[in-house]
Parts: sequence; C-alpha cells; structure tokens
Amino acid sequence: MIKRLIAGYKKFRRLDKPGRFLKVFPDDVFIVSYPKSGNTWTRFLIANLVYPEKHPDFSNINWLVPDPEGLSRRDLARLPRPRYLKSHAYFDHRYPKVIHIVRDPRDVVLSEYYFDIKREAIPEDFPKDKFVSRFVSGELNHPYGTWGENTATWYYARGNTSRLLLVTYESLQSDGPHQMARIAGFLGIHTTPEKIAYAIEQSSADRMRELEKKQGHLWSSTKRTRQDKPFVRAAKAGGWKKELSAASIEEIETKWGRIMQELGYELVSGNGGTGDSPVQAGTSEQYAGTR
Amino acid sequence: MMSGIYKHLKSAYKRARGLQKPGKSLEIYPDDIFLVSFPKSGNTWTRFLIANLRFPNEQATFDNINRLLPDTTATPKRVFESMPRPRIIKSHECFDPRYPRVINVVRDPRDVVVSQYKYHQKIRKIEVDSPIEKFVTRFLNGETCPHGSWGQNVATWLYTSEGSPRYLQLRYEDLIADTPRELEKVAKFLNLPTSPELLAQAVERSSADEMRKMEKQQDHGLYRNSRKDMTFVRAAGSGGWHKDLPMEQAARIESAWGGLMHHLGYELETIKPQEAPEYAAFGTATNIPR
Repeated sequence: MIKRLIAGYKKFRRLDKPGRFLKVFPDDVFIVSYPKSGNTWTRFLIANLVYPEKHPDFSNINWLVPDPEGLSRRDLARLPRPRYLKSHAYFDHRYPKVIHIVRDPRDVVLSEYYFDIKREAIPEDFPKDKFVSRFVSGELNHPYGTWGENTATWYYARGNTSRLLLVTYESLQSDGPHQMARIAGFLGIHTTPEKIAYAIEQSSADRMRELEKKQGHLWSSTKRTRQDKPFVRAAKAGGWKKELSAASIEEIETKWGRIMQELGYELVSGNGGTGDSPVQAGTSEQYAGTR
Repeated sequence: MMSGIYKHLKSAYKRARGLQKPGKSLEIYPDDIFLVSFPKSGNTWTRFLIANLRFPNEQATFDNINRLLPDTTATPKRVFESMPRPRIIKSHECFDPRYPRVINVVRDPRDVVVSQYKYHQKIRKIEVDSPIEKFVTRFLNGETCPHGSWGQNVATWLYTSEGSPRYLQLRYEDLIADTPRELEKVAKFLNLPTSPELLAQAVERSSADEMRKMEKQQDHGLYRNSRKDMTFVRAAGSGGWHKDLPMEQAARIESAWGGLMHHLGYELETIKPQEAPEYAAFGTATNIPR
C-alpha cells in the first residue's frame, strides 16, 4: 500500500523513470546497442562532439547522453533539444533517428563476463564456457533479449534506411575519424577534423580509465560494484581469439553465424552461417518469461 | 492543475481496483502464450478459433473475447490476474524477448493494406473517398497504426524467432485454405487436448458467417462509434487485393518488402524475386562500414 502511494506520488511529480514508456520527440536521437558493445564509449564520443564545452566525464554523462531507464520523466522532458539518448532496447519503431552500435558477440560475451565479475553477479572463478552457454541460450540478467535477437530486430527491421546508422565497435576502433565523420553527418552536425580528433582524444581508453579512477565510485553504473576491477577494460577488438575456447566460439557461431557474417564478422569454427534463419532464438527455459 | 489532479486521482483509483489496461507493463508469467500479428492479419479470427478450442464449453463472442483471450490494451489488469493459466494473450507488438511462447499470424501485406484501408473508413479515421494511394504511402511508412510498419513488425519476429520451438508461425492464407489442419498445429503447440470433433466445433463456431451474425447482434464496445454500413468481418478471404488495389500500388509494396514476402511464400506479381530487396529485406550489406 505504502509502496503504491510512493509510486503514485512519484508518477504525479513525474519522478518515475520511463524506460520503454519514454515520450519520444520527433527530433530525438537514440544510440542503441546491446549491453557491453561500446555504448559508454560512444556516449563519450558523441558528448565530446556535441558538447565539448561541458567537458563530458562520468559525473555529467548521464545528463548529456541520458538513459530513459536512468533519468526521471521530468528531467528527460527538460533536456535541451535535440536530445541524445542511449538505450539497450530491442527494436522500437518510435525511435526517430537511431545510431546502432554493433560489436562482435564473441567480444561482447567476454566483456559481459568481466563486468558480471565486477558487479558480483558471478564469482571470479566462474567457468567461461558455462558463461558463454548461458549468454547464447538467453539466460541473462537483463531484459534486452539475446545478442542475436536484439541485433536482428534493429538490423533487419530498420536496416538500410536513412533513419538508422549502423556503426560497428570495431570500425570505431580502427577507423575512428571516418566513423565519427559519418556520425556527425548523420546527426547533421557541422564539424571539422580538429573537433573530431579532439572528441576522440577526450574519449580515449586512457583518458576514460583516468576518469574512472577518479569518479568510478560515484557513477551510477559502477558505484555499487567492485572497485578493484575496472569498467573500462581492454577497450580492444578480438580479445576472444585468445580467451574463448574453440567450443565456445563454435557455440556462438552456430547460433548467430549468419547475421555475424552479414555484419562482416569472419567465422572461424567452420560451423556457422548455415541454416535458414539468420538468428536462432533463445531456447533457455529460464529465459522464457522469467522477467 | 485541477484537471491534472483529477486525472491522476482517477487513474490511481483505477490502478487500486485493477481496472487499468496493463499494455506493455503487463506482468508476464512463464507459461504465457502470446498470439501476435500485425493488425488486420486475421488476428480476431484466430483469436476466436483458439478461444473456441481452449474453452469448448463457452462459445467465444464479441462480448466475452476480451475475457477469454485478453488483449493487453483492452482487458483490465485484474482479469489478467484472475484468469485460468496458461493464459493466451493477444498483442500487436513487435518482437518482445519476454514473451515465453508466441503464435504469429502473418498475411499478405497487399491484402492487409486493403483490409486496413476499409477498416479505417469504418471507424471514421479516414473519409470513404480518401484515395488508396495516399493510404499506401502511410502504410509503407508505418503511419497507419502504432506497431511499426508491416515490414518492421514482421521482420522483428521472423528474424529473431523463426525455427524456434517456442515460436509458431501461421499464414492467414493457410488458415483460410485448411482451417482444421492449421488449428491442429496450434493445438499441438499449446498441448491442448484435441479431436476432429473439437476442431470442427471450434472452426464452426468461428466461421465468417457465424462471426458476421455475432457482429450484427452484439453491442460490443469495440466498434461502437463506427459506421454501421460497413462491417468488421469483411471478405474473410485471401487475394482480394487484386480487386481493390491498383497494380501500381501493389508494386510499391513489393518493391519495399518483396524479399520478405517471397520468403513467406507470397507470389510477387510486379517484380521478379531476384529483383526484390534481399530476403534480409532491409539489411543489405551496403550499409556496413568495412
């Protein structure tokens, strides 16, 4: 009852966090990605491109490029327009302009593994192979679907239209200036190579590590997590080649080989990219409807 | 301000009594089954068929359908909480990973657009003389309903779920062609007890004639302010677009979603399948930075 009253009061004052119920404005821009796909880095890159005078860091990034699950309805309604929002949501047809960040799922699972250790969702000695199996079958501790499902909803439903810009994490790593120019063009932002270089430098892994050291205990995504483990980790592509077992790689490629290939990720197990369906759905019983 | 407070109090009262429609905030149980489809794809008919199969002792009508096979946007929360499990729930949403098991009814978009065009005339959303070309434009842009475009809605389900044991895909056209056969697939998927008699009864109770009769007799809230000279249960057939949809308009639909249509077995008439956008419909490789 009391809980209900508090929720009612919050709703009335518009202090509740809207999440998927966000009121979307026609000039909104969404940065969508599956969790652990370089979303925070991209948030910094875009914040440094759009608001360099605000000196984006972990203390203000939640306001510069906010998450509808993290800010209240009232605060979201008061943001300067156009709003730049981040989201891990699967396809939402209401999002007017979308930058879709995609990362190789073999690296995503590793990143998720270390992040789950950091936030003590799994013990430090949790077997990686088992973690990969859970990741693939959809036993997840977030409501965003499997990597294949989440990626496929955006890629196939919106895909090649002028309202979605696909940027891979890997291309941001290897070809930052060019990708940032694409993003600026997509957003209709006048920019210069100098401004882009500045945004990239301000969002470099080294600088973000430094900021994390100073502010990590305060930032919403890291404050209640182990401080001896970094949030900004390797910040590299291809770590899976050394760290994943052949069986784990095969498991991922069997499940999502076709969409991985379409996205340009080379398969190595010789056992993927076949079958009628580009994505095989999550099969875990636990996954089914537990959230 | 006063009206704001009144609105809040009213919705708080509704919430306290469980009268609000849950919509996307519906609490989902692990044994729930969702009947999804893009609007105007035979959802209501399938809903009647399944309700009549699931509850053979109570004929589904326009009056009780929201209780037997509830709709997240039309049935109050407390009905959802008190109904027998497993619940079968109707929705028009795009892919939602929380749905444990899904039956998806798809229909030829050339028929869907005609059906939606006529339906919008019936519910007075558009004028009777509003040109169909204009409607097709809005249809292609996903502006005719709040569930994405036909291509988006269908693609989110197909590309995430096809082939999964938790997903059953039906075509409206197959349901028309052999209703008992398709309904038996549903029964199997739902683990419902079935016999030729039960199937026949469900089919009979959901026939287009029967549904037309019920539509006339029952003063259901669904279409209360709509035009009475046009019916909700319309042709109940497939391929009717040949009569109502000019070829140029069919061509626009085929060039937008031809790959997806071909994959679903809908014959293209204005382009060859290989000229249609990839089966991947929208996600062609040109968008990918290397």
